[in-house]
Amino acid sequence: MSFISFWFASIPVSALPLLLACLGLILSERSGVVNLGAEGYMAVGAMSGASVTLLTGSPWLGVGAGVLAGCCLGLLFAFSVAVLKADQILSGLAVMAIGLGLSGFIGRHWVHQPFNGMTAPDLPGLQQLPLLGGLLFKQPLLAWVSILLVIVIAWTLHRTRIGLRFTAVGEDPAAADNAGISVPGVQMLAGMLCGALCGLGGAYLSVASAHIWVDNMVAGRGWIALALVVFARWRPGRALIGALLFGAVDMLLPRLQAQGLQVPVYLMGMLPYLLTILVLVLATRSRYRDEPAALGVTYLRQDRH
Amino acid sequence: MHRLSVSSVPRIVAALLLFSVACFTQAEPFSLDGDPVVAFIYASPAKDGGWNEAIDNARQKVADELDVKVMVAESIPEEASALVNAVDLFVRRGANIIVATTYGYSEGVKQAAEKYPHVAFLSATGIYNSDNLESFYARTYEAWYLAGMAAASVSNTNKLGMLGGFPVSVVNWDINGFALGVQSSHPETTVNAIYTNSWWDPVREGQSAQSLIEMGADVIANNLSSSAPFSAAERNGNYSIGFQLDMSDAAPNGHLTSVVFNWDQYLVPTIRKIVEGSWTPDPYGAFPGFAEGVVDITPLHADVPADTRAKIEEVKARMINDHFSPFTGPLLKQDGSEILAEGAELDAGQIWDMDYLVKGVTGSTR
Repeated sequence: MSFISFWFASIPVSALPLLLACLGLILSERSGVVNLGAEGYMAVGAMSGASVTLLTGSPWLGVGAGVLAGCCLGLLFAFSVAVLKADQILSGLAVMAIGLGLSGFIGRHWVHQPFNGMTAPDLPGLQQLPLLGGLLFKQPLLAWVSILLVIVIAWTLHRTRIGLRFTAVGEDPAAADNAGISVPGVQMLAGMLCGALCGLGGAYLSVASAHIWVDNMVAGRGWIALALVVFARWRPGRALIGALLFGAVDMLLPRLQAQGLQVPVYLMGMLPYLLTILVLVLATRSRYRDEPAALGVTYLRQDRH
Repeated sequence: MHRLSVSSVPRIVAALLLFSVACFTQAEPFSLDGDPVVAFIYASPAKDGGWNEAIDNARQKVADELDVKVMVAESIPEEASALVNAVDLFVRRGANIIVATTYGYSEGVKQAAEKYPHVAFLSATGIYNSDNLESFYARTYEAWYLAGMAAASVSNTNKLGMLGGFPVSVVNWDINGFALGVQSSHPETTVNAIYTNSWWDPVREGQSAQSLIEMGADVIANNLSSSAPFSAAERNGNYSIGFQLDMSDAAPNGHLTSVVFNWDQYLVPTIRKIVEGSWTPDPYGAFPGFAEGVVDITPLHADVPADTRAKIEEVKARMINDHFSPFTGPLLKQDGSEILAEGAELDAGQIWDMDYLVKGVTGSTR
């Protein structure tokens, strides 16, 4: 019983950074842009979050800095693909490398300095609830912000004019252009938001989870978020489910080991990635086509059909 | 015009090889060309709060205590080609003693050592040795044994937790050394080992420490270098043990001790020998421990009782003076099968092949 409630309580630590990055990537891909920079945005987000928290003592300022840093890098990517029409895949990889390099270079002054960061508010009665008490009430406020963001983004995408524009650009940029929507404008906005949300995910890792920054601490989570987008079928609500599932698997490994079970370490380490492949295979076999039709296509107005 | 025929090429190569072998066999001990210039090559920033930093502290001592010029390169990728390139540049700038600081450089160091026979190479956790190349690592398990004795003395739950990166011999022997130290005074106390499957993932390390604590472990021994496990231990009011550097800052209340490297105790005398022309690389690599002063534990937490302190000092003295090894029989594997009979001792090769955990440890090396 306590095993399950402890396990549940730890799931958001792993799941929410993935979720936030995934939300950003959904926005980007909804507008037709494949964004492979997630790992880089998360890296600068984690580094900026930790360094500003260390400098100012305020975790919220740190989180803000993480969002801003991710946003700036996202803007760089969006500008090169949406305005300069650079190749999306290569630009994404380049931005990822820039993010990893920059975070390591700038962050070397703050490496390995533990700080208090963001902790769960005290809710004595609720936290002791069986099974779900820890999962729901022993989380930093940023966890609630993340859940709120799922709702806001889902609502924006499906219920507002701007969300409709994202979808229009991602489905058929030529038609959107004809209808008077600025394709580069929408893609720039999506790229910035993607960077900002990934930066927030990175800041979650350093400011709310680890309370420390070290180089390369994102450790491939940006790539898993990218796979989660496909799992989620480009929908924010399903991204939440997918992230919780990944988080649950990720957090089960140390707990099984702590139970003293003979867990094959290397095999268990592969589990999230095996799960990713499985999900991708199942996703492509799905009967519904919900992938944005113009995903990955560089839109050039003069080539309009 | 007379040309070399293709068929004669193998013969010429063979002759050259024989010639070079003849040259090499005379090159003993190693002698240096020109003024000594040392270059340290790191795979990540030197001040990484762990492994590199421990070596970099020794680099400072090398520069202070020996009359040599010291150069540094950081964040050189762990690929043979990248390392050989870095060595090329350093040699061009006059370096003739290269210290490569990670296992991932092993292949590159081997190639570079063949390319530059008059340059001395020291390869941390490397796997090759030759006339101008010596690999080195330390008998860290000796210090972990003492840390285990300290941990057992303060545990109330008789459950201890230990975090490691991957189930490789250099990690396994630390866990086993720790557990044997624990069992030397508290045979019933168990050690629960978690491999995080990464050298660098503070989020996972913190969570692993947290789950060990939830399972009742009241001492967290951290074989990794981020401070996340210490924060988890502090938060829950538990003891913690650090590795590589003195981690007392990361856990001001519960820091029991840290197992530390004093690499200067190996690098300073070795580089001095290279400079003086009296260095002959150990064909099996250097493997120093307490006796050489390369490993140590930092001052113990005030809660460690006096009789345990005395016992730790006694064992330490035996390690230094009598080469007492924690891996002395009888030694049993997790499943109870015998590794070593009463009185026998594991040799260095058997220690390097350690792919098992000893009885009393839970965890899986697969």
